[in-house]
Amino acid sequence: MGAPGADGAVPAGAGPDVLLGEGGPGATLDLYGRPSWARRTASLAGWGACMLATGLIGVPLIWVIYGVAGRAVPHWHWSVITETTTSTGGGGLANEIAGTLVLMAGVVVLAGSVGVLSGVYLAEYAKGSLGSLLRSGSEVLAGIPSIVLGYVGYIALVIGLHWQFSLAAALITLSLLTVPYIAKSTEVAMRQVPTAYREGADALGLPELTTLRRVTLEAALPGVTTGLLVAIAISLGETAPLLYTAGFTDNMPGLSLTHAPVGYLTYAVWTFYNQPSTAFQNLSYDAALVLVVLVLLLIIASRLIVALTQKHTESN
Amino acid sequence: MTSVRAPATAAPRRADVPAIVEAGIRGVSMQVQDLALGFGSATVLSGLDLEVRRGEITALIGPTGSGKTTFLRSLNRMNDKVAKHWHRGDVLLNGASIYAPGAQLMALRRRVGMVFQRPNPFPMSIAANILAGVKAHRIAGKEHYRDIVEARLREVGLWDAVSNRLNSSPFSLSGGQQQLLCLARALAIGPEVLLLDEPTSSLDPVTTENIEAMARSLVPALTVVIVTHNLGQARRISDRTVFFYQGKMVECAETAQLFEDPREPETARYVTGRMG
Amino acid sequence: MALAARQAPPAQAPAARAGGRGRLAWLRASSRRLTGERSFLRYATGVAALLPLLALVGIVAILAAKAWPAMKLNGAGFFWRSVWDPGNTYGAPVKTDGVLHPVGAHYGALPLIVGTLASSAIAVLFAVPLSIGAALAVVEKLPRRASHVLGMFLELLAGIPSVVFGLWGILTLGPVLSRDVYPAVASIMPDVPVLRFFRGDTGYGEGLMTAGLVLGVMIIPIVAATTRDLLRQVPVLTKEGAAALGMSDWEVASKVSIPWVRAGMIGASVLGLARALGETMAVAMVSGSLLGTVPANLYGKMGTIASTIVQQLDGAFSDGTGFAVRTLAEFALLLAVITLLTNIAARLLVRKVAATALPVGRGV
Repeated sequence: MGAPGADGAVPAGAGPDVLLGEGGPGATLDLYGRPSWARRTASLAGWGACMLATGLIGVPLIWVIYGVAGRAVPHWHWSVITETTTSTGGGGLANEIAGTLVLMAGVVVLAGSVGVLSGVYLAEYAKGSLGSLLRSGSEVLAGIPSIVLGYVGYIALVIGLHWQFSLAAALITLSLLTVPYIAKSTEVAMRQVPTAYREGADALGLPELTTLRRVTLEAALPGVTTGLLVAIAISLGETAPLLYTAGFTDNMPGLSLTHAPVGYLTYAVWTFYNQPSTAFQNLSYDAALVLVVLVLLLIIASRLIVALTQKHTESN
Repeated sequence: MTSVRAPATAAPRRADVPAIVEAGIRGVSMQVQDLALGFGSATVLSGLDLEVRRGEITALIGPTGSGKTTFLRSLNRMNDKVAKHWHRGDVLLNGASIYAPGAQLMALRRRVGMVFQRPNPFPMSIAANILAGVKAHRIAGKEHYRDIVEARLREVGLWDAVSNRLNSSPFSLSGGQQQLLCLARALAIGPEVLLLDEPTSSLDPVTTENIEAMARSLVPALTVVIVTHNLGQARRISDRTVFFYQGKMVECAETAQLFEDPREPETARYVTGRMG
Repeated sequence: MALAARQAPPAQAPAARAGGRGRLAWLRASSRRLTGERSFLRYATGVAALLPLLALVGIVAILAAKAWPAMKLNGAGFFWRSVWDPGNTYGAPVKTDGVLHPVGAHYGALPLIVGTLASSAIAVLFAVPLSIGAALAVVEKLPRRASHVLGMFLELLAGIPSVVFGLWGILTLGPVLSRDVYPAVASIMPDVPVLRFFRGDTGYGEGLMTAGLVLGVMIIPIVAATTRDLLRQVPVLTKEGAAALGMSDWEVASKVSIPWVRAGMIGASVLGLARALGETMAVAMVSGSLLGTVPANLYGKMGTIASTIVQQLDGAFSDGTGFAVRTLAEFALLLAVITLLTNIAARLLVRKVAATALPVGRGV
């Protein structure tokens, strides 16, 4: 093949044995010539589409928040968060808010302890095929749809163990959903703790449990916190695993673990919005607003916690 | 046309180029005029005046941090994307300012190619790697693709090794072969200047020798600028050598002279191994 | 140094300073204590680590045991039948193949399988291009601050509860679409195969398309955040190599960066798909809850496996024979298997990539 464009006018530009087609070698190219129309158009269209996509992602978010706030704010009364729900749809959401907070706290205690311990084992001891078996089991559990867990919780705990709708059934079901997340983020965070930390602690002769608590876990704290926050967010936002385990009640949550249903916020959204009474419908919108506000607070809290914990550890 | 042209003094237009070129094959390919550049408040290079001669290999040597790689990257404006980059002065390619407001990066980089410290093949087949630039610039039609791939791979001596796996991933090649592939890829768009940024620093001696031979075979058709830490390499392959020290060009001379009889004391200390 | 420190950790063993015999005794005691502590720690954490696996086995066992009679009676035809008939739950139950069930009880999964797959497919088709575009813009073009804002948006989107999306879908999005968008689209579509599915009655905003779009919004965070993190891992050297060939920013991004992360991006999309397949509440609110019939067109009412379980479980208990509840167990098992396979595929694809954990919401 020849080099049609390299007709010898610019010897320095012609590479050895040039196969450069009509475009010719680079040296014949005008340094100030703009790229071809096709290339400029492709670039403009491509980046334009990307920018549009970025904007479009914001639209539903703002629309959802605006839609919820627009329905809830006009008739908002502070009694919504101080009074409990009544059977006529009057009153407020105090029992649902309290129930959701109890569920969150319960999940932090139950799923938190199991998850962190499990993460410690996976990071420190689980090796070889046993480790990968445990890890895959945890991952598979995380992938099971929450409604399936809700179904099993209902069949096994509410009916099978005769616990009826109860806090215990709800907490165990929610914990099944959240433990894998806590375990995973604990494990990942602990693996990232520099070996030098642990060797240093070993050299100081600290007992293993102290090393774990004082050095490894402390350094892994941001990761553990992230896992716990995910678990809290799940307890806040999930409905499917709770519908048939926690049940619902107008009363404030009590101390009994079994035989006493618990009200929670997502239930109010799901059930009240298509009730005939406007009072119930309004409560549904209020519950949605409270949920969105709680999510916002959770995100702000997570940012603060991460910022604070990172101050004490070597940031990367 | 809305783009702003280069100042009349700085940039003869394309029509003038052949005349300049015909003035002699040993003319000036790139001319650096009082160049200073840096990032943010840091000044990396200053007061640089240099002529890169056409058809020669120019080696840039100097201790780590002396600014030679940053300088090399200013010849095809690779620094532009680095955060807070600034520059003063100018660089001319065949007499045309590459920093003038109307200068087109894509055209510049087609004329001034580059090979990096470590091989950086693209995540596509070996053949597609060679053709990446050809396709982007629409240099040749589909019917030429096969010939281009073969010619470029033969040029860098890789054809026999990869001719039976042109469609497989370049990541299965050895590091040296990957670097040769990157060289072939850079040559495929027909640059007039080739910038080599320590191209052999991650390679074994045999491959290094290959690449050095390759570089020698590219001149005088191309102009080559190579950054190297390896003084022996600079001595073996370059026609002229430039010594950088602390962001300044200390000395620029024929390679033999710079190594045998350096003018500046810092150069002498560096080339004799007492510094660096 | 290390040895000296080990012998006399100041806070741990003041007695050890006594020297000689006392120190030796302390060492022995502490080593015994250490061994005990170590095995206790191992034991306690090991039990915790075993729990998820045990729970998984338990879940599958309970589902399988519950579903087995229904599987026997529903047979293989279950998967391609379009019928939902609980039978006469007030009449005397009958026994077939040893399984008690109401007279005329007849179930088929096809409409729900189609509904689940179709709504999730719409979600992926909607979410993936948006996510990739936004990830490219944020990583390659937009300033840092814009990237923080998008990160915040994604976190919020991931954190907003499913029921709130459902409420928005049924009260806001659905009505708007069925009034202003669906009729326009349906009227311009030609009456030819495939596109015919876009024509016809556009309904009131409850149905397949609305469900798919709401699901799409819900999976955007996981797909976009994973893709963004993948794109950030493309080596600078590779991108510079492309730029040095004279490629434009767009050519570098589309010809080099995207192929670099292709496998991971597919994995992220499949992860989003898995999430859409199992999503329950929002779909239950906007699907229109159609049983026993495959959706008539793109806007038609429909149901998914997950939404049907949550809506039918309560009523299933009016079937005194327990057959309806058992059939729902079969559905739950089917859903678990579908999402499990999808998740495995996704993890195989994203294995190389560090998991993306959104601080809030179901990241990973």
